[in-house]
Amino acid sequence: MSQDSFASEASTATSTVPSHKPSQSSLTDYSEKIQSAIQSLSSFTTIPPSLISSQDPAFSLLHDPHVSSQISSLLRHPDSGAGDNNLCRWFYDTFQSTSPQLQLVVLRFLPIIAGLYLSRVPLRKPLAGFEAVLLALYAHETTSRNGQAITVNIPDLSISSVYHETKESSRNNSTDLNLAVISPSLEPHGTVRSTRRARIVGVALELYFSKISLIPVGSKIDFCKFCEVWAGQDGDMYKEIEGEAGDGGGGGEEKGKKERRIPLPWELLQPALRILGHCLLGPQKDKELWDATCAAIRSLYARSLHDVNPKAILATGSLLRLSKIGMNSQNEIDYTEISMSNVISL
Amino acid sequence: MAGSQSSDSSENEEQTQVRELCANGICMKTTEVEAKLDEGNIEEAESSLREGLQLNFEEARALLGRLEYQRGNVEGALRVFDGIDLQAAIERLQPPISEKQPPKKGRTRSDAQIVVSQHAAGLVLEAIYLKAKSLQKLGRLSDAANECQNVLDAAEKIFQQGIPDVQVDNRLQDTINQAVELLPELWKQAGCYEEATSAYRRALLSQWNLDNECCARIQKGFAIFLLHSGVEAGPLSLAAQIDGSYVPKHNLEEAVLLLMILIRKFYLGKTEWDPSVMEHLMFALSLCSQTSILAKQLEAIMPGVFHRVDRWNNLALCYCGAGQNNVALNLLRHSLHKHERPNDVMALLLAAKICSEDPHLAAEGGGHAQRAIENAVGIDEHLKGVAVRMLGLCLGKQAKVSSSDFERSRLQSEALKSLEGAVAFEPNNHELIFELGVQYAEQRNLNAALRYTKQFIDATGGSILKGWRLLALILSAQQRFTEAEVVIDAALDETAKWEQGPLLRLKAKLKISQSLPMDAIETYRYLLALVQARRKSFGPLRNISQVDDEKVNEFEVWHGLADLYSRLSHWKDVEVCLGKARGLKQYAAELLHTEGVMHQGRGELQEAICSYTNSLFLEPSFVPCKIVISSLLSKMGPDALPVAKSILSDALRIEPTNRLAWYHLGLVHKDDGRMADATDCFLAASMLEESDPIESFSSVQ
Repeated sequence: MSQDSFASEASTATSTVPSHKPSQSSLTDYSEKIQSAIQSLSSFTTIPPSLISSQDPAFSLLHDPHVSSQISSLLRHPDSGAGDNNLCRWFYDTFQSTSPQLQLVVLRFLPIIAGLYLSRVPLRKPLAGFEAVLLALYAHETTSRNGQAITVNIPDLSISSVYHETKESSRNNSTDLNLAVISPSLEPHGTVRSTRRARIVGVALELYFSKISLIPVGSKIDFCKFCEVWAGQDGDMYKEIEGEAGDGGGGGEEKGKKERRIPLPWELLQPALRILGHCLLGPQKDKELWDATCAAIRSLYARSLHDVNPKAILATGSLLRLSKIGMNSQNEIDYTEISMSNVISL
Repeated sequence: MAGSQSSDSSENEEQTQVRELCANGICMKTTEVEAKLDEGNIEEAESSLREGLQLNFEEARALLGRLEYQRGNVEGALRVFDGIDLQAAIERLQPPISEKQPPKKGRTRSDAQIVVSQHAAGLVLEAIYLKAKSLQKLGRLSDAANECQNVLDAAEKIFQQGIPDVQVDNRLQDTINQAVELLPELWKQAGCYEEATSAYRRALLSQWNLDNECCARIQKGFAIFLLHSGVEAGPLSLAAQIDGSYVPKHNLEEAVLLLMILIRKFYLGKTEWDPSVMEHLMFALSLCSQTSILAKQLEAIMPGVFHRVDRWNNLALCYCGAGQNNVALNLLRHSLHKHERPNDVMALLLAAKICSEDPHLAAEGGGHAQRAIENAVGIDEHLKGVAVRMLGLCLGKQAKVSSSDFERSRLQSEALKSLEGAVAFEPNNHELIFELGVQYAEQRNLNAALRYTKQFIDATGGSILKGWRLLALILSAQQRFTEAEVVIDAALDETAKWEQGPLLRLKAKLKISQSLPMDAIETYRYLLALVQARRKSFGPLRNISQVDDEKVNEFEVWHGLADLYSRLSHWKDVEVCLGKARGLKQYAAELLHTEGVMHQGRGELQEAICSYTNSLFLEPSFVPCKIVISSLLSKMGPDALPVAKSILSDALRIEPTNRLAWYHLGLVHKDDGRMADATDCFLAASMLEESDPIESFSSVQ
């Protein structure tokens, strides 16, 4: 599956290149880039030889737990965000390679990069390396949507639609649909201006969401953990209702998390909630991800109440209730199963 | 034999009950057949069925397959089904070309034939369907999906005109329903999202004669998939689009449409209520910031589905999210009524927050906050700090409209006490730190205000504009203009150009304070260009998206310029700027005030008084006008002095820290010969001058 979509993405990406190379040569072009990216990564991590020799090294790079955990722990190093940091440099170069597969590898680590970045801002640590990566993602999204805002028309049931059962004559005169802005227009940024920081990270998260079906579960779990850190609010009191005993799991660590509560403006919270929605209700099911998502939602719900932010209370509250409905739905009837009777007739 | 079998079953400890196979009016126990199947003798089992039940080959196989499937032996079921040439069977079922347009005139001779062929079709389709289910259980999802697709393709071929409402064999319809529902699920599980999307759309847009519940389940499943799969579903096929009807173009649009339709189906009584549908819609619409539409949806839901208090509270959240605080507050007053749910902490906090933004509601808000503090126990215990903070905010706001000095200072000190108290609960709440900064600044404790504001900027990494603005205002109040300018310049560096408006306005005012009018004019010009460019660049979208964060509008700039020119006595320029401003907003108290100043400057006293009075008619509590009117009156002779004095006292009740009002009151006292009072007033004015910000502190919020 992933292979197919990679290939199709690769071809769409090359179709925008003016010279119109045949896709075969562009694929080999990418494979060289992939090899060189793995080569330069190997200068500061150990890469299993099976990965290099594998048929699709970029795919393996994305999914290899060994490499991921090495990169994660390098990223979590206290000075990892500096401008001269090798890993940040590698992320930046790798993303600029324009290979969709390699860009996916960079996106896989976005939760950790963004999470650490926003938590470290008040600590006055060097963060130019993280910023360069985030700006690269922001610039990519800005170009790919030409700076335009993303808007949707909220449907109005009085206007007949494809899904209406009775095709009544529609009131054409009232085509005044409600236009909603999902993501405002983008302007190019060469540096991270502090008041645009949340927006830049938010747009990077929008990019992450648009590729989320290709991203490994581990990355999404990282994201959920950082949502808890960002919320800076313990949500465990909302757990009891779910009828599940708390799993304990490092109370001391939780205390440490509270310290790094960050401002959560809507431009950051909204894409974060979309990602959490995917983690909770997306097509792939994973127990560990489910638990991490529920914890993140609880924390963000508590945080929304602390901010008395109505929109956030509505969004996180609905996710919280959906997580509870989901938890109780294990014995849901499977309507696609045939009725099992003891008398089988023709 | 029958007896021995029943005793067999009672001995059977494991839950396998005795199954029976029935056909053509004959029933037989399955024990024997099952034994043969267990030995792997499909042919023997089949032939014993054909003999026992008088079946043909296909019928026997279909029954056997179902038996194996029900026994949980899906691999066995697959082996049995593989023996039937399902493809050939499907082709036999298709109506011959001549019958393609069946006569629609009532029952005809072919009716009986249709029933028979439907029965046969049901048998074949069920066999294929069970094959798909077996493959699903074996984890061969793509194969399963392909088989399932075969069921639907075959059904489409058999019913070329769509499935009619009547004359459809129940079992056949059941199989079709199940296949329609299963197919998108299979593609989803197989990770083929594109196929899943088209399967969903095929399910919903073709005529399968689905029952309402089944259709509702598919619609809900598709809506969830659209919202959360993270894969853009792509446009609907042109065939599905009908002229004039609404065609969703984005995942969110399609999902919201489906969810709305589901809700309508419920209140038309077509389906059972499913609470999760509303939750999904709530999530989707709040993500789009369309909480006013969400409110309409909530209002349309029949009574009895939600508890009325829950509904009121949710509606209040929606309206507050859409900026309609008055509506929200009214709803909350209902839900917090003593006969309803007066101690709901979330509702109390929201009500307190809304009240804290309006001085005239602040007293009510204080009551809500107080009750929230008392009720923050159990699951809501963590909200105690928030309640204390809301109390502080309400008290601070209430102080602004208090009738006496004593009352004011009591409220102010209580406000500070609450806010400081809240810090103990929430030491890391940046907003709270900021609010403390504002509160201290408004009480002119500038050093404390400065400390909190710096703390706020540090904690937020300078990411929030209002922190910078408050810092500059506090510095300006301390008469540290150059430092304030450094702060503004630093803030400008950290801001994208569209958000620079409020900073530039402050900068212009700083220039004026430093007696650099030409620099101020330059800054205003730049600001004007920015505001106009912004309006043009956002075009039609501007109304919805940008209006919220538009802190500086063109009107303000023109008015600021007019004010500046009037200080320089450039009356011609003042007139031009006023004209421009009036074009944007015809009736504005501040505009009439500046116009009055212009007339006064030109010596046209009557016109001046006329403008000032008009301004007060528009806004009876507009302090600058009160001051100029009283100063004009006091020059008219001793008879007018008491009137001037009372107007100034009124101005000071509204704005106790207005130094100009104190100064003019001093003048009035002096003219009246009350030297001691005059001295007090001048003293107050001069003290206030030392702590006067270039813009009011409350403007930053």
